[in-house]
Order: sequence, then C-alpha cells, then structure tokens
Amino acid sequence: MSVNTDKGGTEKLNPRIKKRIPLSTLRRFVMLGIIALFLLQFLRIKILVGGLTGSLALWFVNLIDVFAFLENLFSSKDLTVIALVSVLPVFAIYTIIGRAFCGWVCPMDLLFEMVDRVKGLRLNIRKGKEKIGYGLAGILLIVSALIGIPFFTNYLSHLTNFFRFLTGGIFLVLRLPVDNTVIVFSVGMIVLFLILDYIFPRLWCRTLCPVGKVYGLFNKLSLIRIKFLEGECGECHYCEELCYMQVKLTPYLDRKSLRDSNCIYCGRCVDACNTKGRLIKIGFRRTG
Amino acid sequence: MKLSRRKFIEILSISPALIAGNGLTVFKQAFTEDETGPLPDIDAGGLIRPPGALPEREFRSRCIGCGVCVNVCHVMKYDAIAIAGLKDIKNFGTPFIKNMRDFPCGLCMECPAKCPTGALRPVNKEEVKMGMALIDFSLCFGWNGDVCLSCSKACPLGAGVFDFFYGEWGNQPYINDNCVGCGLCVKYCPLGGSAVKVIRRERYTEVKEKYTAEFRKLLSMPPEERYNIVYGMNMPEIMARGKIVEREYR
Repeated sequence: MSVNTDKGGTEKLNPRIKKRIPLSTLRRFVMLGIIALFLLQFLRIKILVGGLTGSLALWFVNLIDVFAFLENLFSSKDLTVIALVSVLPVFAIYTIIGRAFCGWVCPMDLLFEMVDRVKGLRLNIRKGKEKIGYGLAGILLIVSALIGIPFFTNYLSHLTNFFRFLTGGIFLVLRLPVDNTVIVFSVGMIVLFLILDYIFPRLWCRTLCPVGKVYGLFNKLSLIRIKFLEGECGECHYCEELCYMQVKLTPYLDRKSLRDSNCIYCGRCVDACNTKGRLIKIGFRRTG
Repeated sequence: MKLSRRKFIEILSISPALIAGNGLTVFKQAFTEDETGPLPDIDAGGLIRPPGALPEREFRSRCIGCGVCVNVCHVMKYDAIAIAGLKDIKNFGTPFIKNMRDFPCGLCMECPAKCPTGALRPVNKEEVKMGMALIDFSLCFGWNGDVCLSCSKACPLGAGVFDFFYGEWGNQPYINDNCVGCGLCVKYCPLGGSAVKVIRRERYTEVKEKYTAEFRKLLSMPPEERYNIVYGMNMPEIMARGKIVEREYR
C-alpha cells in the first residue's frame, strides 16, 4: 500500500521499470486466501468456522455481520449480550478498514468479475441513485421486525447462500446429512445475482446490497482513505472508468484525501493511475 | 501423474455432463424422501433443534442461518446438524438434527457455546430439551422376548433416563421424562430402521397420555394375549425389517 511519495506524478514512470504487485492481484489473493481458510473447516481445522454472515475465528472469537446483527435486533426486538459481543470485533475492524470488505473479502466480487468477462447485453446505469440502498435496507429491517425472521440474511443474502452452497455441496460429496433443497435454493439465488449482474453490471454492489450499504456508513468514520499525491493530473479519467462503484475522483484531487461511502478500496483507481500519473494511493493517515 | 492433452480435453468435455448429471440427481432427490421408521402414527411435531435452543418462536427470530453450528458440529466430528430445507418455508435456513439414525447429537455442547446470535444458549447436558425419545414397543427387542439394552448403553445420561421392567418377555426398557433427546439410542438400536424415535417436547406432552397408557397395558397384559402379540404380530415385523432395511454403519 505504500507508494513512494517524492516521485509523485511529476515523473511519468514506465510501469515496467519499477514493478510492484498490483492491488487487483493482491486483493484476489486475500479473497481466495480467506475462502481457503473457510474451506479448512471441512478438514476440521479450526481457524475460521462458519461463513461470512457469522463465523468463529480461532475457535473463540464470535463474529457476526453488522447488517445481520441489525436484522437479528429488529426481528427479536431484544438486545442480547451474546450478539453484541459478536458484533463488536467486526465493528472495530470496520472502523479501521471501512468498506474494504466488499473489495477484498466478498466472494461475489470474484464471481461478478467472471461475469464481466462474458460479452453481451450490458445495461449500464450511469446515474447516482445510491440512496435507494439505504431505503431498501430500512424496508428489509422493517420486514424482519414484522415477520419475526431475519429476512434478508436468512433467505436472500448472497453471503449466506454462497456459504450454504459450499457447505451443502461438500457435505453432499462426503455423504453427510444435508437437505438438498437448500443446495438447490442457494445455487438458484447465486445464479439470480449473477444474472442481475450480467444485465446491470455491479448494480447490486453499488445500489442495492444492504450489507455493503451498512459498511458504507463505516467509510465516513474509518481510518482508511483514498489519498491524492501532489502532481499534475492528465485528465484521462481512467481511474473513474475502471471504478466499479462509479466514485467521482477527479473533482477532489485538490483535497488530498477522499472518503466516499461507496468506495470499496479495491484499488483499481490506484492501478489505473499507476499506468499514467501515479497520483492516487490508499493509505491510513491524513498526511504523507 | 502425467496428463496428455487428449486426456485433458476428454476430461474437460466429460466434466460438464458429470456436473449436470449430479445436479439433476440432487434436484430429483431434493423433492423426494422415503422414510420408514418406528411409531409411524406419531410425527415429530416439527424440527428437532440443536441443544440449548430457545423456545421455537424466539429461536426463529434470533437465528440468522449463518451455519456456524452446522460447521462446529462438523469440526467436532458429529455432523448431526443440517440446514432445514424448503419444505417448511418458515423454518428455512435454520439448523436441525436431520438424520438421528446415522448422525445423532453427541451432546458435546459446543454449538450453543459458539452460536454468535444467542439463538442457542449454553446449558448443562442434563438440562438440554431437544426432544423426547420414544420406544416403539412393537419393534423393540427388549419388549419382545429378548435382552438387548443397546439403547441404555448408548445413552450419555444412562441410569437417570432409563427404567427397566424385567419379566419373562425380556428386559423391557422405558425412557422417562429426563430424556434430553440427543438420539444416540436411535443410532445404536440394532433393529432395522431403529425402534426409537425422537419427537419434540411439545408433541410429547400431547401424546404422553396415549403412550404411557399403551406402556401400562403391555405390562399388565395376561401372558397368553402377550404371547400372541409378540410371536403373532411383532416378531414377523421385526424379522422383515432386518431383511428390508440394510444398515450401513457410519
């Protein structure tokens, strides 16, 4: 994550001269690494047990997704110490890294990128409308409170269904008890998400996903931020073109840093700028 | 192993067909289920929850279906907990003990301790209320002229749960209200298809009167009548089950 600052954008460096691992590659490794750690549980290795909605790290730290916690709170109408203790570590993590979960951990990002390689009918909605997600999250919470079931997390969630599919598939192969309708349902849900992504690229991440929206709120108070180095911008807008979340970067170049609630810190803008001006990087402190 | 290009292309072309075929069988199996167990006229009254579960309504409002308990159960080598399917749409995604015949709960009490939402709460082994095991008197060896006692030997709570009525018709076991419903007796019953069934506690309170009446009737039955029941009706059924239901120990 460290970019040598003094060179800045004044010098147009050829990327072949100084090689560093692109963030896009790095985050792919992180993502697959975390999924691999989850897969170790099927060999009975207790590093990460569970899924990305709720898990158990190192066999003693309970973790629960923040939106799942909210749904649990609304549907049970009761704040329990157990759930609170489980959500606190996650809360702490996201006050540091903000919405980086979406770009660095969420397996849907990997699947969506595979969909991106398929050419065809892609409708790109290039307008804001990011506020819809907050409304949707609110509606889902109210639905959960009304029916007394954590609705999104239990039925619709891409994370729950992804890990249900993993567990179900592996249990099916190992001939352990598994309800086959669960596998059929979770595969169906994942396919629906992929079809949605095929027609509207990244609409789910950008506008709808309530899990990401809640993490987006953390972006406003997190330590991580996009930083702009001093230098001359070539106005190529390549960074904005590559950005999955359609974050506007160029108007804020004089600000030195940016914390947009939609930014997933995937680092595609960093990689984009590295081919041209080397102005953008991701860092933690305000200066430097 | 060296893989020639031709072989690789062969595997590549076969694998989608394999995956599709497997998917089709999963899809077919998903909506069919065959079950011949003991006590066919008493249903389980819902899903048998993992130990430490809150009352059904509260449990449902708290469980987010994350699957930690399922995977904890797998790590502890019991594999008892599964995720409920679409048959009961309200309980979809919640954990339950699916197949007690092969994968009963071992009462290791790890899943309630590890549940991140508090839908399962830590309790003592003896205070678990997963369900209630009922013996089918018409199938049990002990009630039909044998001395088996496999269920009582398998029970993790042992003498606190089992009562024995010794007589000329065998060493007749009876499971009392202290049963926690873990299902270990279901697994270790030697009868084809098991002679023990675990039902929910709520269902047990409904059928308790009828069940204990049958139990008392059998104990106080005159020997001739009992002889006819045991050798006329029950034994042929037990023998037939031994032939029909193949048992593959896991």
